[in-house]
Amino acid sequence: MRSLLSRSALLALPARTPYAPAAAAAAPTPTRMALPPAPLRLPSLLDVPHPVTPQYVLHSAALTLSALPPRMAARIRALESLPYIVGVNPFISRLYGIYKDSLDALVREQPVRSLDENEGFVRRLQGLVESHANDIPIMAKGFQECKRYMTPTAVSAFLDSAIRSRIGTRLIGEQHIALSRSLAHHTPGQAGVVQRNCSPKEMIRHCAGFVHELCESTLGVAPGLVVDGMDDATFAYIPTHLEYILTELLKNSYRATAEHWLANASRVPASVLPPSPPPVTVTLSRTRDFLSLRIRDRGGGISPAHLGSIFSYAFTTAAGDEADGGPYALQHVGGQAALDAGPPASASAPAASASTPAAVFSDISSTVIRSGLGTIAGLGYGLPLARLYATYFGGNLELVSLYGHGTDVFVKLRSLERGADVEL
Amino acid sequence: MRPTRRALTFSLPQPTPSTSSTRAPTHFYRNRQLELYASKKSKPLSLRQLIFFGRSMNEERLIKSANYVRTELPVRLAHRIRDLQTLPFVVVRQEQVAKVYELYWSAFERTRSYPPIHTRADNDRFCGFLQTILDEHASVIPTLSLGFSLSSQHLDPELLDTVLRRMLVSRISRRVLAQHHVALSASLAGREPPGSEKADHVGIISTNLDAGECIRHCVELLRQRRGADGQGRVWPEVHIDGDRDTKFAYIREHLEYPIFELLKNSFRFTRLAHPSPGSSPPTLPPVQVTLVNSPTDVHIRISDQGGGLTSADINSPSDLYSFSHLRNKARLASDRLAALKQAASRRHGVMATVKEQLAPAADGDGSGGETGVEEDAELASRTHLGIGLPMSKIYAEYFRGGLHLVSLDGYGLDAYLRLPKLGTMLEDIEV
Repeated sequence: MRSLLSRSALLALPARTPYAPAAAAAAPTPTRMALPPAPLRLPSLLDVPHPVTPQYVLHSAALTLSALPPRMAARIRALESLPYIVGVNPFISRLYGIYKDSLDALVREQPVRSLDENEGFVRRLQGLVESHANDIPIMAKGFQECKRYMTPTAVSAFLDSAIRSRIGTRLIGEQHIALSRSLAHHTPGQAGVVQRNCSPKEMIRHCAGFVHELCESTLGVAPGLVVDGMDDATFAYIPTHLEYILTELLKNSYRATAEHWLANASRVPASVLPPSPPPVTVTLSRTRDFLSLRIRDRGGGISPAHLGSIFSYAFTTAAGDEADGGPYALQHVGGQAALDAGPPASASAPAASASTPAAVFSDISSTVIRSGLGTIAGLGYGLPLARLYATYFGGNLELVSLYGHGTDVFVKLRSLERGADVEL
Repeated sequence: MRPTRRALTFSLPQPTPSTSSTRAPTHFYRNRQLELYASKKSKPLSLRQLIFFGRSMNEERLIKSANYVRTELPVRLAHRIRDLQTLPFVVVRQEQVAKVYELYWSAFERTRSYPPIHTRADNDRFCGFLQTILDEHASVIPTLSLGFSLSSQHLDPELLDTVLRRMLVSRISRRVLAQHHVALSASLAGREPPGSEKADHVGIISTNLDAGECIRHCVELLRQRRGADGQGRVWPEVHIDGDRDTKFAYIREHLEYPIFELLKNSFRFTRLAHPSPGSSPPTLPPVQVTLVNSPTDVHIRISDQGGGLTSADINSPSDLYSFSHLRNKARLASDRLAALKQAASRRHGVMATVKEQLAPAADGDGSGGETGVEEDAELASRTHLGIGLPMSKIYAEYFRGGLHLVSLDGYGLDAYLRLPKLGTMLEDIEV
């Protein structure tokens, strides 16, 4: 399966150069790059034989090799269309460099003809995926510094499309890596990145366990958890996506509940105050095509003044807003450790930058989520990102707030075996 | 003898004065008067203004109020008649819509030519006049919703829903104005309606409305409802939590109707979603109502386990508010149309109140002198006209509150009713 872009066209790119503006201008992207990325559709992700066969793995390698370069090219093109002064920003420029490196590396790949060759390819692919682990913190920092050069709408549009594209690209890469691994040890019920019998209840308990510890260690108190409704439901989904969405939402609910309870503790007499923070309730529901869940907390809700901004990216916040807005106010850009060049930050680094509960809450989820999705958590991007993940396969995420009482978040996820013909 | 053929004479129909029919050719030329009024701006009021004006009532202020209502009503009527006039010809010629157009035109003509009010006696007559108009328009809601649904193939769904919404909001506003004035007149004359709490209301507004009590009252009424066979039914329990003693100033009917309709739906769908095996009574999961006293609003959240939206015909909860069959196929279901037609032809019409949905025995009113009232009430309580949700939303939005439904498909529906509690929001009418 050949990509729409011929190798020669991609090779027409200049060899690695320092990413100064002058050099970039001297090497305009070839017109062939104006073609859209080769569309990869969801059904091809699920068409995996059980157990996976060597032929299929080689087929997957070819699929991957043809799908990834155009996507990289599209991202490069998008970065090149940013205003000049934004492109010159060191963080945006760094990102540009990472993508160009990726494209160069992919273009140098030869077709994979044997399982041995595939092993090498998978190793290099993993390196590639790893090199993109901090894309989002880098973008976030860059756009924060460029606040005055681009309208919030323009930045949102760029980020939406960049993150959505990234979700798809990672999916394709991770799929091949997972399939190659499963040749060695087959996991029943797992088809590449898709787990056919994903149990939301188990995932909820897993994420809540982590969030509970975090909440208790930073705030001193944490709410309990109740899971009800069709709690035995299972569906076909990508575990890392579900994990991210749940962790982000539970983090918000737990923190809001604990802080609201603590604030009340200092205001109302002990006889009136409930003995412990009221639990967060997750209700599950399943229809033929979708898995729905509702996360209901009694964390005091979100003030109408802030409700309009909770789904926007964090770059518009002034530093002082955090105190006014309560738990859901736009969090300042965290993930400082992730911005240092080099390998992913060690567990100690986040602690160095974190002092306030906000920062800790922001940073810490990155250590858990890192394995699946890179450092995307912890930037005040939680809700918009969760929504992007939820809607990626045609699902939905909706938030309703009762100011003074609590918040309800509704998530609807498509069960992937009822795969809509979604383009990745 | 041969029969003589009478000469047939033709002559143009003479224009009849004042209450000319809208089908007369002169109707077009009489529109000048309408345009005069339509060009004036409506003055939207806030609840606070209505209360403030109503306190410290005396004869002079009452006359002032009467003339205010007298001049404001035709302006609001004129705006909506203009709305109808811009719709496609075929839509307003449709039998039901035409009937409403005729009613509105007649009301407009009579209110605009009503003489100024100077004395208490004048005001008494004026109140009688207002009541007549209110009664005449009792059937407007089902008639209009039937007419628009039947015309939905001629209208873009957005436009249809926008126009109908404007008509219904304006209708509420005119009724509020008229009923408030009538109530103020009655209280000044010492004629309090039976059963009202004298201390806590001004005109039709309750200044200390207990939201929790309102909810409990609706639950009581609904639990007494019988099925089609006249037998009692098992209904789900209702648990109320949150700020249970929330009190604020509001028009009781505007709070009660949406709560009643939403709970009615919750009860019905909870029963449908949990049928009992065999003949034993079903075990029904409860309906959870949360009351929240926010700084600027009162929130009421009603969570049921009625299965949520599972119909393939409805894409999202907002489609339930639409009168266009393109968004909501049930609008043209034959049993729905039949029910609406019947409701439209009833003398008492459908006024979107809780009271009209109760069997007369619950009222404690012993008058059963009119034929068909009992059947009417039973019918009103059972037929699904499909106007409960749209009307609830309109009531909620009237003083700029809101109604929002979210479905947890397969499990249940959450309804969020929000009403502004400070009384500072202006009526949401088109000026």
